[in-house]
Amino acid sequence: MLADLIRIWGLWRARGGWLLIGLGVGVASALAAVALLALAGLGVAAGVAAGGGALAIFLLRPLMLARPALRWAERMASHEATFRALADTRIWFFRRLAERLPGGLGHTSAGDVRGRMIADIEALDGLYLRAVLPAVAAAAVVAAVALLLGAEPGLAALVAVPLGAALLLPFWLARQARAPAVAVASARGEVNRAALDPLLGLAETLSNQAEGAAAARLAQATAAMHAAEERLARRGAIGGAAGFLLAQLAMLGALGWALAQAADGGLAGTAGAGLAVLALFMALAATEMLGLVPRAGTALAAAGAAARRLFTLADTPAPVAEPAMSAAWPAGHAVRFEGVAFAWAPDRPVFTGLDLEWREGERLALLGPSGAGKSSIAALLLKLAAPQGGRITLGGVDLAQLPAADVRQTIACLSQDARIFDATIAENLRIAAPAAPDAALWRVLAQVGLAELVRALPQGLDTPCGEGGARFSGGQARRIALARALLPAAPLLVLDEPTTGLDAKTEREFLETLEVATRGRSVLLITHRLVGVEKPDRVLRLACGVALPAAG
Amino acid sequence: MGKTDTGMSGRAVLSAETRRLGRRAVLPIALGYAVALCGLAQAWLLARLVAGLLGYPVGGWTDLAGAAALMLAAAGLTAAQEIAQAAAGRAARAHLRSQAFDRLLALGPADGRAAGDKATLVVERIEALDGYFSKWQPAAALALLVPLTIIVLLAWVDWPSASVLLVTGMLVPVGMAVAGIGAALASKRQFEALAHLSGRFTDRVRGLPTLVLFNRAEDEAKGLAAAAEELRRRTMKVLRVAFLSSGILELLSAFALAYLAWRHGALLGDSHPNPVVALWCILLVPAFFQPLRNFSAAYHEAQSARGAAAELATLLAPATGAPALLLEAVPPRVAVVFSNVVLRPSAERPPALDGLTFSAAAGETILLAGPSGAGKSSVLSLLLGFRRADAGRIAINGQDVALLRPEELRRLSAYVGQKPHLFAGSIADNIRMARPDATDAALAAAADAAQVTEFAPDLGLVVGEGGFGLSGGQAQRVALARAFLADRPLLLLDEPTASLDPGTEALVLDAIQRLCIGRTAIIATHSPAALRNLPGRLVTLEAGRAINRRMAGN
Repeated sequence: MLADLIRIWGLWRARGGWLLIGLGVGVASALAAVALLALAGLGVAAGVAAGGGALAIFLLRPLMLARPALRWAERMASHEATFRALADTRIWFFRRLAERLPGGLGHTSAGDVRGRMIADIEALDGLYLRAVLPAVAAAAVVAAVALLLGAEPGLAALVAVPLGAALLLPFWLARQARAPAVAVASARGEVNRAALDPLLGLAETLSNQAEGAAAARLAQATAAMHAAEERLARRGAIGGAAGFLLAQLAMLGALGWALAQAADGGLAGTAGAGLAVLALFMALAATEMLGLVPRAGTALAAAGAAARRLFTLADTPAPVAEPAMSAAWPAGHAVRFEGVAFAWAPDRPVFTGLDLEWREGERLALLGPSGAGKSSIAALLLKLAAPQGGRITLGGVDLAQLPAADVRQTIACLSQDARIFDATIAENLRIAAPAAPDAALWRVLAQVGLAELVRALPQGLDTPCGEGGARFSGGQARRIALARALLPAAPLLVLDEPTTGLDAKTEREFLETLEVATRGRSVLLITHRLVGVEKPDRVLRLACGVALPAAG
Repeated sequence: MGKTDTGMSGRAVLSAETRRLGRRAVLPIALGYAVALCGLAQAWLLARLVAGLLGYPVGGWTDLAGAAALMLAAAGLTAAQEIAQAAAGRAARAHLRSQAFDRLLALGPADGRAAGDKATLVVERIEALDGYFSKWQPAAALALLVPLTIIVLLAWVDWPSASVLLVTGMLVPVGMAVAGIGAALASKRQFEALAHLSGRFTDRVRGLPTLVLFNRAEDEAKGLAAAAEELRRRTMKVLRVAFLSSGILELLSAFALAYLAWRHGALLGDSHPNPVVALWCILLVPAFFQPLRNFSAAYHEAQSARGAAAELATLLAPATGAPALLLEAVPPRVAVVFSNVVLRPSAERPPALDGLTFSAAAGETILLAGPSGAGKSSVLSLLLGFRRADAGRIAINGQDVALLRPEELRRLSAYVGQKPHLFAGSIADNIRMARPDATDAALAAAADAAQVTEFAPDLGLVVGEGGFGLSGGQAQRVALARAFLADRPLLLLDEPTASLDPGTEALVLDAIQRLCIGRTAIIATHSPAALRNLPGRLVTLEAGRAINRRMAGN
């Protein structure tokens, strides 16, 4: 847990200035609160004892204004620091996902990842706001108390020792709260999953009358989360009560000391009595401060659990390592698979020794039943996965030696799971080429037979597509994805089942225009059947891990 | 103003839930009040002890023992209060979450929000309500009860001190209200920013491979950074107000303390008539302001809870005018008639269905053909109760479906969509959801019939959310197996063979043909093989109308 939290601090280094300012103001504000109450107490005590106390009362005035101002500044600075750090952490997390999970989330659900991005990162705020900051402020208060009561070591010990012990409580509580905090964090993930999965498959949930089952799953996940929360709340309450008891012990200890002194011989009106009163009021003020400290333990435990969940996903090993030193960029664009062995999982090999050639400028059709590994070829080419044996070359250079970003710049791809984002048509298209002018967008839309439809929309290119292209029919959304793949001027183009979801007429029209749209480029058409108008230069059939020439 | 309206109904959600909680909402308040009373009594004993130290003939070891006993009682009660208020928050969240989720499912695809946004409603926004029940409610009640008690007690012994506390105490809510103007709006904006960030993140993470393939992950990270920055800015706006009100509180508290210290300090110089009362006054100042401080700290929790509640209010509002008819029993055979049906999903676009008329006799198979966007899927979503026709009439066995509850309508049919969603879990679980009480033998038969056993012989294969691990064609066959298992009189298939290779397509078409026997089927398809091989009547749609009819396979 500690290692994870230290690593989180490391991520926040860029915000070190803000974090330190927050701590500084926090300490000043805590000391002001103690001083305020102590001076008030001293003023009265001095008045009772000797009719003086004017100095204490005089000093109260500036403090009266300083304390609220410091308190406001402390909260502003500390929250500003925290939220800046959290925003940084969110972006760091997204970058790591893009780097480590380029091929998609796999068995991790989107709801779960979303939970980590939102709720777990939010739970990290406790590390600073509820653990480090109150602990540092309380430590400053305890040190000040010990210092001010230094004239009477016995009294100083009676007050400072319980208060110091309260400072140690969080460490005990963090250990106690660790297991329930981990349980809360993982139960929260399950709540996210249980809520999102049925909503993603809403049509299936409803048409199968699975509403009851989905609701029951969510209720169960919520109940599990609440059971863990309850355990955490109990630990927190016990810690809070312990902190309160220790602060009260300091206060009663001071009074007990004074009573004992008085029994030994008149104490009234002496400096000792003044100190005892000072100790009483300081302990009273410290109660508020130290009341927060034990909570630091639960906050630490929660932040630790959240950090662990973040790192578990963020540290997924990247499927394809970037080359330490990239080879010179090849002149040609011929692609060769040489004895490639590949498996997504060790027990389910896709190829054991695949040989395949895709010549420069060639229109190659790759046929095969579903599950034969057609899409794996696309994934290997685009470096979303790396072969376990053999090699793949581009223009004679091993793909492993070329940077992935450059490879993806050279090979444009329409994947089977190409996603239409919840953005406008233009924004979705420009994902492929950010600088493309509107004319280029209209050109590719015309190539996929969508230009007319888009022109008829009142918002034209600025029409929002909805999540996953929901505003359009399946065939239309697929054609937007296709248009996007055609947009960049990449010399190689991989089209994985480009016409899924298109009706026969549109499919035919599209495949006929494909020849013009892709002239001069190498095209790899991955499909389970040819309709007869594709005019490929060559057809390969993939079955049982081998690619054999087939009749067009 | 619309804003005020949603604010009001948000409040209605919260107060209805408070009423439901009943005793669970009162217990933390009672415990908190008991803690405060312990504190007042202890302060009196402490005042006696301090006066004794200063030379007056009061206070002794018995007072100290009494203070220690009160300390123990207060510690126990504090812990009990904390546990009780957390329990109230949990009870409220559990109830509201299940209510909101049920409503989202009942609304179905007609609610066009993204799945991520909807999940935000049932997860984050419900969580944001916690503070209202677990912190705000007890804090608000105690902020009234405890200071009033102190003022009444003090008025007996030293009325000028009591009146100073009364005045400063009454200024607290005034200061908070002044600082709090606009806080509700700021908090609503903060939630919008959170929903935006969360929705955008879910959308982009699901399309991560697409971003990676186009080298745009880094740009998207910057886009997300802007959304995260927006969230931070809006959160700070909410907090600035909240912190300002707590600053005002600190100022009032410091003023009261300083005034009482000055007053009693000055009086004491002339040998104070009642030193114990003087010290008690000073000691009560923190006790007086602590509940107000808790109140102020919970204030922004209440604000964000109200913002979240406003967002939930429209969802939780009782549905009006919903059809209420139940189905007595699922009839063995159904006949479907569409007459002049119009469906207009949005005003700015041409209608999806524009006066569609066709019928399917009991046991008949209808093949809906036509270009994409012609309205094929709309026909199916009307029959699934996902949408309601804007005009015209749809009848099943002569009964108008508009009168039936949508979930009752769905009991008639089995549905396979274009891109069927598979849930995280095993293939067997995914099929069994169509009929949870099915025997293993029935499950295996359904899987066999839909050619699922060809790629997953033992059905124990676990897939990720959205069918990760399976190809599109395989997912489609799992969905078909659901339809086999469901065994309903009406079959609604949307491009059931769209992503299958020719060999598998032939097998699946064969299976569909068997599935159609004795059932009414409406199959949207543009697969030439399906149109050729499935026996049935062809209805071709164009621009939301049926244009011709002929027998397929002829």
